[in-house]
Amino acid sequence: MTSKPLNATEPGAGTPERRRRHRGFLHRFQLEIRMFVVLMALSIVLSIVSSHFFSLGNLFNLMDQSVVVGIAAIGQTFVILVAGIDLSVGALTGVAGIVLGLTLTSLGLPVPIAIAAAILVGGLMGLVNGLLVTFGRIAPFIVTLGMMSIGRSLAYVISDGNSVSSLPQGLSYIGSADIFGVPANFLFVVLLFALAWYYLTFTKGGRTIYAIGSNIEAARASGLKVSYYTNLAYAASGALSAVAAVMLASRLMSIDPIAGNGLELDSIAAVVIGGASLFGGRGSMIGTFFGVLIMGLIRNGLNLLNVGPYWQGSAIGAIIIIAVLAERIVTTRLNSRGQ
Amino acid sequence: MTTDATATAVEILRAEHVTKLFGPVRALKDGSLTLRAGEVHALVGVNGAGKSTLSRIVSGHLRRSDGVLRYKGQDVDFTMPRDAMRAGISLVLQETSIAPDLSVMENLCLTHFGQSGRLDWKALKRKAVAVLEELKQADHLPLNQRAGDLSMAQRQIIEIGRALQQDSDLIIFDEPTASFSPTEVESLFEVMRLLRSRGKALAFVSHRLEEIFEITDYVTVMRDGNTVEADVPTKDLTPAMLIQMMVGREIHNLYERSGVPVDVRANREPLLEVSHLASGAAVRDVSFTLHAGEILGLAGLVGAGRSETVETIFGLRKRDGGTVMLNGQPFDAASPRGAIARGIGLIGEDRRRQGIVPDFSVTENLLLAHLGRDPGMGRHYDRHFADIDRLMTELDMPAHILSAPILGLSGGQQQKVILARWLLLNPAVLLLDEPTRGVDIGTRNTIYQIIRKIAENGIGVVVVSSDFEEVLGLSDRIVVLSDGVSVAQARSELLDAEILAMYSAPRSSAQGLHDTLADLAANLGATAYWLQIERGRVFCFDLVANERADTGIDADQFPLTGETAIPIALARVQPGASVVDGALKSVLFKLTNQSGHSFGYLGLTVPAPDALPDPESIRAMILNSMADHGVGQLLIAKQTEENTV
Repeated sequence: MTSKPLNATEPGAGTPERRRRHRGFLHRFQLEIRMFVVLMALSIVLSIVSSHFFSLGNLFNLMDQSVVVGIAAIGQTFVILVAGIDLSVGALTGVAGIVLGLTLTSLGLPVPIAIAAAILVGGLMGLVNGLLVTFGRIAPFIVTLGMMSIGRSLAYVISDGNSVSSLPQGLSYIGSADIFGVPANFLFVVLLFALAWYYLTFTKGGRTIYAIGSNIEAARASGLKVSYYTNLAYAASGALSAVAAVMLASRLMSIDPIAGNGLELDSIAAVVIGGASLFGGRGSMIGTFFGVLIMGLIRNGLNLLNVGPYWQGSAIGAIIIIAVLAERIVTTRLNSRGQ
Repeated sequence: MTTDATATAVEILRAEHVTKLFGPVRALKDGSLTLRAGEVHALVGVNGAGKSTLSRIVSGHLRRSDGVLRYKGQDVDFTMPRDAMRAGISLVLQETSIAPDLSVMENLCLTHFGQSGRLDWKALKRKAVAVLEELKQADHLPLNQRAGDLSMAQRQIIEIGRALQQDSDLIIFDEPTASFSPTEVESLFEVMRLLRSRGKALAFVSHRLEEIFEITDYVTVMRDGNTVEADVPTKDLTPAMLIQMMVGREIHNLYERSGVPVDVRANREPLLEVSHLASGAAVRDVSFTLHAGEILGLAGLVGAGRSETVETIFGLRKRDGGTVMLNGQPFDAASPRGAIARGIGLIGEDRRRQGIVPDFSVTENLLLAHLGRDPGMGRHYDRHFADIDRLMTELDMPAHILSAPILGLSGGQQQKVILARWLLLNPAVLLLDEPTRGVDIGTRNTIYQIIRKIAENGIGVVVVSSDFEEVLGLSDRIVVLSDGVSVAQARSELLDAEILAMYSAPRSSAQGLHDTLADLAANLGATAYWLQIERGRVFCFDLVANERADTGIDADQFPLTGETAIPIALARVQPGASVVDGALKSVLFKLTNQSGHSFGYLGLTVPAPDALPDPESIRAMILNSMADHGVGQLLIAKQTEENTV
């Protein structure tokens, strides 16, 4: 067999240097562009069927609703990229929320310290997930399933089953501030996504996370810090669950031990709709961001169309399955082309 | 050519010009095989020759792309294993398909579980008992025992039992003895002989010469996906001829020697000294020395522990014993990170599994090892672009592939990318495990040239290869591994494929023979040895020395017969006769297997004044000792027959 040379007709001539760094924009962001097209198509459909859709109020509402899922989905993306899964996201949001609330009310500590405490608790519990996966060699599904149960139970234990209300006014500022009318917490989420995207694309750690998920054995044999970055991904997911709890508490001005219920599934759904592979190594922050917006858009649209809440679960579920099916088809086609 | 054979035996299966494509890869180009009732047929070839692919096609595990398959006189096309099984073809796999948590009986009847309708447990049990009795295993295999607790051979027997249970007429054994002890091999062969006498057609896929000559009647040889020799009666072959058929590819021109004389390069300071390395069951006692600028070949068969040896050095496997010195300093890599930090690189044998990151571009794959080494937070790929461009030119790779996905490259190009990944790190030692596996012959040549250039630049290179010609052509020196032990170390020009095969053949009887030699040495006060003489050189496989009789033979050296202390005895071997060389007296016996093929000589040397028992008693002594130590497959030829030589 002869070695098959690659097609030499690359779009956009230039020095090898240039071509190396700037492979066609369309090619490099093909996944993100696909997502964007889906997002636009959905918006157009929704604006046609509902005149309310394009009102500013509705758009801000949509942004506001995407905050909590968005933050959790960032952490979930890290974990899914290293070929893991984090089922404890919602439960850790619950624990961290209760920690936040009690630090503020029972201990009476200032808001920044309470937030730091919540993030610390979430991060440490996420790290425990990571350590059990890397050093305990237990499947991520099992580890985080266990942590989900433990986390939720701890939330009830610490709070004695009661919700924590009468949170200080300083906290509400986080949930209600706006910049030129745009909700500030949504802008914060966009900033987090941008940072996470930068980290995954341009740092050693980010590329290592992709390498681990794509081929863990090659990563190990090439001397990459496989355990370290796997732990980092789980710890980040735990810490971001706590950030999600802060957002939730600041909007509702009270926190329940049941807070964040189902968040793990919503965040996984957003990542998967965003084109990530549950086998790891494939996916992107931009994709996840669009995944979050698409989820929010569909929920929003179903509300605008007066679809009852009982039916909404079916609609969302169907969309997740269709997204994964589409990814499977694309992957198969890419692989057969690669052969 | 086999008209007389076909006249006596019923042809069961005939495969002609069978091909198999995996995507664009031709795993099988022209496979032909004829199997007859009441015969054991060897299907042999080196790794990747296509023998497993052909047997999987015959047994319905794979579908052929083209060619003719006739079973009992009818054209057949099996779409799945169950079709072939129903027709009476069974494949007994190397990795047995035993459900470890089910009982012996459930495993025996496992194929029935796939049928619809209720299971008649009583009938199944009757059948299972009958099968075990037929195999004469009823006493050894309790039906209620958990299958996971059985030995490898017992599991294999269950698989055979399954085949019998379905009244299979054709049973294919795919490297069944790979993990067997000598006694297990013997019990399997007993079952195979039994099946042959019942008129079953048996195919035996293996590369263990000893076993092929012991159990098979006919041999079909495959090479590079083609059947190169079909239906040769085993009795017409010698091990040397068979090896020639298996490896005899004309690729000599591939191995041009480099300009720098080997001596100049190999006489430098030792770079990597490995002594008594051990890891798990695969690596038991491996020692070798690598010099800067040297290419050292690790030869041996699959399962000899070659890959495991380099993986242990690299820190991918836990080291259980032994020492490694790098530049005179102790070196103990607990992980690849540590090894890379000390300048050691490993290119694994399975490129897909250990090498490439499929979702990354070529550039990112090139810089993968840098991700773990470069300081700072950023990925800083741009710092290496100049080095990459230089290397790409050196490796003759077009620059435009750098941004392409790695999976878009051919196997050879991918291998070059992986090579380049490590070269970018400026390593001191490169461990290459099967560097040309899955690489086409054109790119192979380039890879050889690159490896030579790497060595000329002063890097020590260890090459693991199953292709004897490749090891011989590429390496300056060769270490032969057999069953996890380094059994020989020599400059490659002293060796040839046949001697390599002799050394690397997993001598299932090696330990038994060693004990036999020890018995002889103790009982007769002699130095006892097992050796082969080729082209006037003595290749010693094992030796138990006695200081009273120094033969001058060493397992690591390959002296000319004249350079030993017993030149006359070795120059012209007269089996059974005592030959005096000055102060020493030697007697040698020819070692053969049950079908009369030579496996070298067993000999002993005593001081000349010692009285030796008469040859017949020594022979009896050796045979007794071999029987005690379970060396059942080898015989000592009667010296009366051999004295005519």
